[in-house]
Amino acid sequence: MDSDIEMELDSDNDGEFDDDYDYYNTGEDCDVERLNPKLADPEYFEYDCLTVEDIEKLLNELVEKLNTFLQITPSLAKVLLLEHQWDSNAVMEKYRQDANALLVTARIKPPTTTTTGTATTTEGATTSAAAAAQLVRLGSSGYKTASSSSSTNSSSQQSQHRRLCPVCASTQPSDRFYSLACGHSFCKDCWTIYFETQIFQGISIQIGCMAQNCNVRVPEDLVLTLVTRPVMRDKYQQFAFKDYVKSHPELRFCPGPNCQIIVQSAEISAKRAICKACHTGFCFKCGMDYHAPTDCQIIKKWLTKCADDSETANYISAHTKDCPKCHICIEKNGGCNHMQCFNCKHDFCWMCLGDWKTHGSEYYECSRYKDNPNIANESVHVQAREALKKYLHYYERWENHSKSLKLEQQTIDRLRQRINSKVMNGSGTWIDWQYLFNAAGLLAKCRYTLQYTYPYAYYMEAGSRKNLFEYQQAQLEAEIENLSWKIERAETTDLGDLENQMDIAEKRRTTLLKDFFPVDNKA
Amino acid sequence: MANMAVSRIKREFKEVMRSEEIVQCSIKIELINDSWTELRGEIAGPPDTPYEGGKFVLEIKVPETYPFNPPKVRFMTRIWHPNISSVTGAICLDILKDNWAAAMTLRTVLLSLQALLAAAEPDDPQDAVVAYQFKDKHDLFLLTARHWTNAYAGGPHTFPDCDSKIQRLKDMGIDEHDARAVLSKENWNLEKATECLFS
Repeated sequence: MDSDIEMELDSDNDGEFDDDYDYYNTGEDCDVERLNPKLADPEYFEYDCLTVEDIEKLLNELVEKLNTFLQITPSLAKVLLLEHQWDSNAVMEKYRQDANALLVTARIKPPTTTTTGTATTTEGATTSAAAAAQLVRLGSSGYKTASSSSSTNSSSQQSQHRRLCPVCASTQPSDRFYSLACGHSFCKDCWTIYFETQIFQGISIQIGCMAQNCNVRVPEDLVLTLVTRPVMRDKYQQFAFKDYVKSHPELRFCPGPNCQIIVQSAEISAKRAICKACHTGFCFKCGMDYHAPTDCQIIKKWLTKCADDSETANYISAHTKDCPKCHICIEKNGGCNHMQCFNCKHDFCWMCLGDWKTHGSEYYECSRYKDNPNIANESVHVQAREALKKYLHYYERWENHSKSLKLEQQTIDRLRQRINSKVMNGSGTWIDWQYLFNAAGLLAKCRYTLQYTYPYAYYMEAGSRKNLFEYQQAQLEAEIENLSWKIERAETTDLGDLENQMDIAEKRRTTLLKDFFPVDNKA
Repeated sequence: MANMAVSRIKREFKEVMRSEEIVQCSIKIELINDSWTELRGEIAGPPDTPYEGGKFVLEIKVPETYPFNPPKVRFMTRIWHPNISSVTGAICLDILKDNWAAAMTLRTVLLSLQALLAAAEPDDPQDAVVAYQFKDKHDLFLLTARHWTNAYAGGPHTFPDCDSKIQRLKDMGIDEHDARAVLSKENWNLEKATECLFS
């Protein structure tokens, strides 16, 4: 029975596929070209820029698919999909295994105390059958509290007319009461005000039942039935949509300011997506600035490190020493190695940190230090100094390239000015010089990659792989400098040379990315 | 004030008044003004805790959006407890924040606070100093909490040693409450407390 439905769905899909089947792009001969971009370009990334309407359609299709399979309301289907990262197959699989557990973990239904973990398979089957029945009931009957289900038959006669709402403490006709699968029943007004308060605080699909210690989730349709103010409804739908998109692994909001585009890709990796509307480029995996060859965790670590001022402490450690007697912090700002602590007046040698009395007249060179240069090296200061030196090495280069990139517009303006004056002087036409802009664009692209190689190198462990990486990095850097130099001094006749240089620089860049950019599907 | 909040508070007031806890004198509630927005609660220190025998007064402010948002509750009686600030009386309790449910009442809040006095959660502290003492020097914590209960909440246990140390600091011109707070923080080490106050 189940498999029949699935087959139907499958054949449906096939039918859809047939409609936009591309007759020209089939056959074996195209395979090579199809595979090529991925192999040739490590940054190759297939993605779509979709609008809010497109996404709504896409999500609704998933919801409908689950609807037809499980026979439930769209709201419940949405909750189930949300809990399973919009993987409808996972939902169906779990439904087949244990429908009850599925509903409990999705917070559609409260955990039942009657079913124990040691239930036999037959018991498990009956409970899941019951759960399935309940799911159907939830889907069809709505949320009006049925008096028969919440109270015993004897009292139902009395409670049919009026009941007490535990939230607003007023008695109301029982047809004004609503409840979720947990059975906690509250009056319509209370639910409505409660929803509005929650929506006001930015909570949408996570709204829970009002009862104490009850975590059953309120599905979308109940909220939208009761909340009638258009402003609140809009807000709820916006928040809910955001949560749906965020829970879908293949979707990302474009991080561009005020941009409404949502990027979709089946390949969830740290590759660059460029928004077609606002042209913001970002890493599809983490949503930050694109950062190849560094991966998402490392770039995050690096940016945090650069942002905090823990390096100030390192600076102090590296550039100062403690007085060996009173341990006050001293910075040497010139003079010979004979130090006198301003605090405790202790005389000592800056190099070996030993007592000056043993040194005699060696003011400028310490023989003890010369014999054993490690004598002062065991201190933590020296280790901190080494750490700082390493960090600064990478940071300076990172910062340098980042600054160059920020000045990109200026570079292009300068280029334009130079071309103007050249054209005025009669050396070539405007058209002849256009290739320089391509070159400048490529230069920026290469610099961008180079900038992001420094955090990668900083966190790399020393070894042959790091040696190889730094070798390739140096090669890329050298070619970038060459390219930059050539762009600045190019003449119309240099087109060939410059194109050659561009090609070399780009090759170096792709080689480095191919070898080190962590792509999930890389062999 | 919203109608619903008033009617709820009125009903909850009655609920507390009629509850069996009030017969046992373990919780109490009274009005401060006619607008039903400010109330004063009182809970008895639970038995077998350092708070036993004390009466702790609470300030309860009912927000406009009650019962959809939790009431704002604070200890007015000074108390030495890891989840309650020894300075301001601010309380760290989940049901007064994210885990509030509209179906909860003032009675459940007061009973939860009483339960909090009986079962502190030092890993989720409001007052880090107290929490540290609770975990590291539990005997001293019990003594300090009992002493505070005696000094502020009318608890039965007196500690002449603590009182004499406070008196010593008072003789130096320190306010009694400050002296008690510093001594409690410094594990009743008079020398350290003096150093802390005068350095």
